[in-house]
Amino acid sequence: MAASISGLLKPWTPRVFLVRWSRYNPYYLEPEVSKEAYSQPETELSAEEKEQRELKALRPIKAATSGVTSSVFDDPVISKFINMMMKHGNKVLAREIMTQTLENIKKKQVEKYHKASEGEREAIECNPYTIFHQALENCKPVVGLASIQKGGKYYQVPIPLTDNRRRFLAMKWMITECQDNKHRRTHMYEKLSQELLAAFGKEGNVIKKKYELHKMAEANRAYAHYRWW
Amino acid sequence: MEATNIKTRKLRTMYGGFHPNSSNMRLYAKRKEGAQGLVLLSRQVCVSSALCRKNLAAAGPEKFTLEYIQKQVEEYEIGKRHLANMMGEDPENFTQEDIDKSIAYLFPSGLFEKRARPLMKHPDEIFPKQRAVQWGADGRPFHFLFYTGKQSYYSLMHDLYGKILKIEKHQDRLRAKGLFSQDAQLISLGPSRWLTKEELELLLVETISTHDYDRFIKLMERMLVMPYSSTEEEFVQRYRRQLEAQSMKQMVPPLEKDENGVAFSTAEGRRKTSDSSVILRDCGSGHITINGQDYLQYFPVLQDREQLMFPLQFMGVLGRFNLECTVSGGGRSSQAGALRLAISRALLSFLSEGDGEAMRQAGLLTPDPRVRERKKPGQEGARRKFTWKKR
Repeated sequence: MAASISGLLKPWTPRVFLVRWSRYNPYYLEPEVSKEAYSQPETELSAEEKEQRELKALRPIKAATSGVTSSVFDDPVISKFINMMMKHGNKVLAREIMTQTLENIKKKQVEKYHKASEGEREAIECNPYTIFHQALENCKPVVGLASIQKGGKYYQVPIPLTDNRRRFLAMKWMITECQDNKHRRTHMYEKLSQELLAAFGKEGNVIKKKYELHKMAEANRAYAHYRWW
Repeated sequence: MEATNIKTRKLRTMYGGFHPNSSNMRLYAKRKEGAQGLVLLSRQVCVSSALCRKNLAAAGPEKFTLEYIQKQVEEYEIGKRHLANMMGEDPENFTQEDIDKSIAYLFPSGLFEKRARPLMKHPDEIFPKQRAVQWGADGRPFHFLFYTGKQSYYSLMHDLYGKILKIEKHQDRLRAKGLFSQDAQLISLGPSRWLTKEELELLLVETISTHDYDRFIKLMERMLVMPYSSTEEEFVQRYRRQLEAQSMKQMVPPLEKDENGVAFSTAEGRRKTSDSSVILRDCGSGHITINGQDYLQYFPVLQDREQLMFPLQFMGVLGRFNLECTVSGGGRSSQAGALRLAISRALLSFLSEGDGEAMRQAGLLTPDPRVRERKKPGQEGARRKFTWKKR
């Protein structure tokens, strides 16, 4: 903790500047934006949640960023995807591409819905948000590879990945795939919607990339004991 | 024995001069008078100024005697009364704030560093706390742990361990009687935190290392966990500070009523370089005007309008209020952020305490401290370095 409590509440510059630092003192906690978290009465909470609530009552909280709202239309995964797609700070364009993609997905699915027969109609998913989430879920790799040096040589060792890392890899592959492997006349949103629908059906280049990674990890299973963490 | 220099003492050892009746004159008087006839050569030895210079760093921080500090306190009190008379105020009720204001008035200073400006404070705040001399006239120190170097710290650890042993003895006695129960009488602390290392140093009037501080906290935690430790509660509370709930510190803007009887409140907000001010009227129509324009026209981007609605949507009062906003400076996103902060603050006067706390925990009431990082010399931007060329 810093020198005094009053010093903890001001915009802060650290004594030793590490590569990543923020203007908030580490004393500050992350904000909780969803309305449901505050509507739960006291009795339904577990002991940890009660402790968390008490801690929140005593500690200062960081300001909510400009990309989040408490609205029902706000999705953290979609916000993260938009930020990753953004180039040179052009959030307006990135958000536009995202909305066009979702619209495009909806259009295609509704077309398919109307063309299909009665029995198949129930199986067709029309909600673009569920399609997006499911497609991303299908693209997430289970294990990753790390380059570990042992005895002068570098081996690709299979390692478990954290949730954040898996989500990041899925999004990154999706975006690079859509930026690189497309015809110069197709728009980004068209290519993205095609890839997302393919990933939803477990086909497409991104899924292929995920399977390749899994195969490499399986092939290098023998080196798994090189991991020490 | 007389005070002698080393040379004379050596001569005395050689010529046996340590008898009580002996004197140095035996060595130096002439031989025919029955003495040794040695010649004391007292040369003027040329010594460089480097040897005569005092080692200022080795002396440590300046030491002030108790009398000196008491004299300073008296001078301060007298000076305070003179200052009060000069300013035409009552000398009896002249507080420290009045002193600060008077000094700032009489000695206006444009210096940037606040600590370099003229000040007049009680000597206890100016002179650092020092310890009185720790040893008596005979040179023996008073405290038995003096030679550890950190006597207050080690005596504190010693007392703490003594208390732990006492609690354990108490537990053994109860166990012998068969009255011991595992989860009895733990200390209840309430919302409080341990003393920080700096505060502990102030308390002990000596410097401790982070390792020492961690050991102290670990030992305290160990004592807290033991059953029947509530006997030492008062001792533990001395080393804890109360934490007050953050929600107490919110400034709620006052609720006013205009001519038509409509309740309204005003608040301001800042973000990066934007300043905004909002008047929230409890009309029931939900119109929003920014700098005279409609908000749909002023913020064509959806994200900015979402940010404006965020506090209202969070509280579920979307169509209830009329907003009259003014904003200047910054870009579109920072203007939206400034307006959001102003709206949240203005909304506080219409809401209950619990709702205000919920807004605070959602991050709506904290002013965002992130500002543009400056460009550094030797780099192209704040973080970007110039292209590295090997040669």
